Amino acid sequence: MDLLNALVALTNFVLVPGLAYGSQLALGALGVTLIYGILRFSNFAHGDTMAFGAMVTILITWAFQAAGIGFGPLPTALLALPFGILGAIALVLLTDRTVYRFYREQKAKPVIFVMVSLGVMFMMNGIVRFIIGPGDQRFADGERFIIKARTFKQMTGLNEGLAIKTTQGITVITATIVVAVLFWFLNKTRTGKSMRAYSDNEDLALLSGINPERVVMYTWMIVAALATIAGVLYGLDKSFKPFTYFQLLLPIFASAIVGGLGNPIGAIAGGFIIAFSEVTITYAWKKVLTYGLPDSLAPDGLVQLLSTDYKFAVSFAILIVVLLFKPTGLFKGKAV
Amino acid sequence: MSDNPYQDDHGNKDASITNTKGIGTMQPAHLKSGPTHKVEGGPFLIGDTMTGGYGKGPDILHDCTIAVDKGEIAVIVGPNGAGKSTAMKAVFGMLNVRSGAVRLDGEDITQLTPQDRVIKGMGFVPQTSNIFTSMTVEENLEMGAFIRTDDFRDTMEQVYDLFPILRDKRNQPAGELSGGQRQQVAVGRALMTKPKVLMLDEPTAGVSPIVMDELFDRIIEVARTGLPILMVEQNAKQALEIADKGYVLVQGRNAYTGTGKELLADPEVRKSFLGG
Repeated sequence: MDLLNALVALTNFVLVPGLAYGSQLALGALGVTLIYGILRFSNFAHGDTMAFGAMVTILITWAFQAAGIGFGPLPTALLALPFGILGAIALVLLTDRTVYRFYREQKAKPVIFVMVSLGVMFMMNGIVRFIIGPGDQRFADGERFIIKARTFKQMTGLNEGLAIKTTQGITVITATIVVAVLFWFLNKTRTGKSMRAYSDNEDLALLSGINPERVVMYTWMIVAALATIAGVLYGLDKSFKPFTYFQLLLPIFASAIVGGLGNPIGAIAGGFIIAFSEVTITYAWKKVLTYGLPDSLAPDGLVQLLSTDYKFAVSFAILIVVLLFKPTGLFKGKAV
Repeated sequence: MSDNPYQDDHGNKDASITNTKGIGTMQPAHLKSGPTHKVEGGPFLIGDTMTGGYGKGPDILHDCTIAVDKGEIAVIVGPNGAGKSTAMKAVFGMLNVRSGAVRLDGEDITQLTPQDRVIKGMGFVPQTSNIFTSMTVEENLEMGAFIRTDDFRDTMEQVYDLFPILRDKRNQPAGELSGGQRQQVAVGRALMTKPKVLMLDEPTAGVSPIVMDELFDRIIEVARTGLPILMVEQNAKQALEIADKGYVLVQGRNAYTGTGKELLADPEVRKSFLGG
């Protein structure tokens, strides 16, 4: 039995990746939940908005790299991120102007918007693949690790190494800052409050002189920024492939619904719940258990509950359980 | 509504993809207001011989006239389904007025959208969903003052002086308050714009008699500041007691008009609406 090594192995293979993945899901789910709360429909194009923002960031990153502009030990993509956000904002505002506004003028029901967003999703998906291609793109540069496994072993003298990737550190820090700024904006600023008011009671917001088109515009801008940040962080941490972002829609929606749609705190909690469930269920526990249990109980097999190919099944299973027993989500939904 | 395929409600009840809570029922904001023009004389606010109904539906109001002057309380009473709330909504621009006009402070505003009428100085308190339930009392008041660019802290203090209980509950979500307190928030929100006229749609609906008396007292207090108040009321007797002007509507038409006292004394009105 060697609890210290077990703990390090657990941190290395479960806690750190789960934390990073959870932050990425949380940022994605925040965007979904804002659209649901304020524009009142589930935006299926969210995954592809993330892909588009990340794609613009990648193109700018490549341009920077070609021009020899770097960001020291940090990835150049962070420098390109603001441009990616601007690109995504331009795209969603254009989509809103040309597509969604027509349906707003018809006072279309939310379910119509859901279907419209499905169409927008396919369009964005096509645009991204047309511009950057369907393949894998790597754009991470700079220092790869904050702590290397070997350095950690030398430092502590343990058998197990702990590696923390720069991208993981950046993900968690960025997510924390973004969430703090978002909550400050929604709760303290006049514009943020008007968005909450519009979400709460559209008619009364109108009677108070809040311009709905303004609220819609700000919402899209914030959502585009959140989506791009989430997309770039995910791309840095893993790799960028348009189809992966399309698939990310599933865990993102699961996170938003598990936490309670329309509730930003729920979206964050949901992101971490889904991420840690996926990681813990698809992780082979052999190593941790071998360290953690007495020798006589050490497992022979891998002790992996599900193969990683089935990770989406985990989000779905959680989603179904939550919808069956607590349909409004773990946190009271619909209260942006 | 059913002639618009975009408003087909089919499949719209799945709350995991659609969010219909608090969804707007009013005309969207991009419908532009028509022109206004100056007119001479007349009461401060008047809905003059209005005929109209909702959307393309049948007429609900027929040559209905409602007016209120400065410093007055005007009350609209009548049996259920008489079109009291409809008359008030017509004055506020929430339904199609096919003939007749609405004039405010020497200006014909018949073509304005409700949100533009708010900017012109009309404060409106709807009968239901008249507060932001998820926001605190103070945030509700702030949202009421959304169109104001000047410092509105004075107005907020005035509202708190008028409704002291709201000052104690300023940081509590408005949805957690009692019925009477919610109505105070609703009226306070409307007062935050510093309106030139205040319109209340059944402010005492669903509150206990004690709370109702208190609300009436507060409304009188607001009226004493010189703010004209137009009010729809179920409790005809009490409302007419405080009214300078009363309108009894029957089936969308003016049945009786007079001062509150006259109507209370009128045997016909007493017999048909006030229970003898």
